[in-house]
Amino acid sequence: MKELTDRVRQTARKLLDGQQVDLVLGWEKGPEPFRSQPVFIREPEEAEQLVFDEFCIHNLSTFLLDYRDGQEKIGIFVKGCDSRGVVRLIEDNQFLRERLYIIGIGCPGMKDPLAAARAASGLNGTEENEGLAAKCRECMYPNPVLYDELIGDEQPPHLEGERFAQVKKLEGMSAEERWQFFSDMFSRCIRCYACRNVCVACNCRRCIFDETRPQWVGRETNLMDNIGYHVIRAMHVAGRCVECGECERVCPVGIPLMLLNRKLIKDVNELFGPYEASLKLEEEASPPLSVYRPDDPDNFL
Amino acid sequence: MKVLVKDKINTALNRLAENSQVYVPVHREGGSRFAPWPTVPGDELALDSLNTMFSPKEVVLPQTEKMYTFAARGQSVEIKETGEERKERVVFGVRACDSKAIAALDEVFLTRGYEDGFYKARREPLIIIGKACTQPGPNCFCSAMGVDPLEPDPVDVIIYDLGDAYGWEPRSERGQKLTQSLGDILADRDFQKPSAGEFQLQVDINGLPEKLAGMFEHPLWEELAEPCMNCGICTYLCPSCYCFDIQVKNRGTEGYRFRCWDSCMYPEYTMMAGGHNPRGSKHERFRNRFLHKLEFFQERYGTSLCTGCGRCIVACPQGINIVSIIKRLQEVELDVR
Repeated sequence: MKELTDRVRQTARKLLDGQQVDLVLGWEKGPEPFRSQPVFIREPEEAEQLVFDEFCIHNLSTFLLDYRDGQEKIGIFVKGCDSRGVVRLIEDNQFLRERLYIIGIGCPGMKDPLAAARAASGLNGTEENEGLAAKCRECMYPNPVLYDELIGDEQPPHLEGERFAQVKKLEGMSAEERWQFFSDMFSRCIRCYACRNVCVACNCRRCIFDETRPQWVGRETNLMDNIGYHVIRAMHVAGRCVECGECERVCPVGIPLMLLNRKLIKDVNELFGPYEASLKLEEEASPPLSVYRPDDPDNFL
Repeated sequence: MKVLVKDKINTALNRLAENSQVYVPVHREGGSRFAPWPTVPGDELALDSLNTMFSPKEVVLPQTEKMYTFAARGQSVEIKETGEERKERVVFGVRACDSKAIAALDEVFLTRGYEDGFYKARREPLIIIGKACTQPGPNCFCSAMGVDPLEPDPVDVIIYDLGDAYGWEPRSERGQKLTQSLGDILADRDFQKPSAGEFQLQVDINGLPEKLAGMFEHPLWEELAEPCMNCGICTYLCPSCYCFDIQVKNRGTEGYRFRCWDSCMYPEYTMMAGGHNPRGSKHERFRNRFLHKLEFFQERYGTSLCTGCGRCIVACPQGINIVSIIKRLQEVELDVR
């Protein structure tokens, strides 16, 4: 990875030196060995701050939303999942391809600095550091799908076993069992909205959950309001989720959000597919739930 | 001197629970927290961990709290207060950082001319059994924020971990009474108070509030806020963040008013009726949180609103670290005005 860090620094320096971009989104090292974290650099000499190591798990593409109204040209380092996030934003007309210089890195799979921090914190008892992050163990597309420049080697998919195994287990439950399962999960939610804010598909300028007139979802932290939040959130990203797994990773109470997202991926696939969100950038492409076709299945209506 | 032998913890907690609602630190899937004793299945008493992921502020300031119900009855309205019944409550094993945070909440809700009835109803009957911290964790920096980890305050009793027992030291009249009520469970034994371990995290806050008063418009805030995604994790895990919103739910002719935690990280928090948002950008929201912790609260109450518990450092998805931020702020050289 040392080599990759060198390549990352060289590339960023070159882009900033040549004024090809105004800003580079990458990762830097934090105070602890397991802390890699997003960094935003504007000067060539700051390129030395950049790293690429086993903890660069954050999907940086979501941060592009902070610059969507600007003019800056932005250099961004992307892993496989992050690159699908960039496609998501372009497809959703949230960002212009011309404003981006995308540097792709084949991803060997990451460890989660958050999980490591929790394990080291002494706050959660004997929690163990999990090795390769949960979201990376499910990864099918570790290689960037959109880039101007590629560094590092192509990587094999990390998913072992069946992609929808957990979803099928859920589908196999009785209605009562499923209700109990989701009640247990959603009653934990503290409504911090981290899952929404970290999500690249959650790119609405005005989010339904921030609306007050009318207030679509209540602000109480109870099962019904929490379910309202989570079901709407999941439905809004159905067919648009790029499976980066950030929502589940950042959840402070461990709600298995990807299970819900993957159920919808499976449903969208079965009803409108085969379909994989944001696997390549195509002119005029739209996710299935944004398109009406007379032959759309309607047997669930 | 009294000690509580660890074998008798359950007996002591059961005794306390006879007349009070007792809260203890527990491990629970989804995060350790203070929860009622006796514990429910899935919760596991966690007196030996450093602290809980969720702070004990929930005991005095629940995330959602009903205030009153109302119903239309013909031409009139019937209003019923739904505030908690006042009963004795005991929270067991509160660390110094968290009791300092309760002290801050007391300032906010009980001083300066207005007493918040809902807070007071929970706080006044609350007996706090503090636990002296001897081994700071990797994200602890309470000493830098003026907290003595061995001296939780306010508390009614302090317990010291002696290995096989907890040294038991009443610190208030109510603590004395509580000690008497446990007379047959506590044992007599002399003990030496443990000393505090070394802090891995150090930071200097000397002069910081005064300095921050001149840094409202400093460009550093934009840079520091860049990785922030404006979620509410830091504010909701924080033992001293106390902002709440008051909202209402209607069903036909009846409904209720409630209050619930709110976060200065959310755009809705400052949204005005006319649609203007005075804190419209993320760096303004970010700046507010740090200035509130480190400057505004100091100016109003003479103490910092950050107590150095370190929870936000552990849980921030983007690695935002208040200690690193304080260091960056301290490095700034300001022109003398």
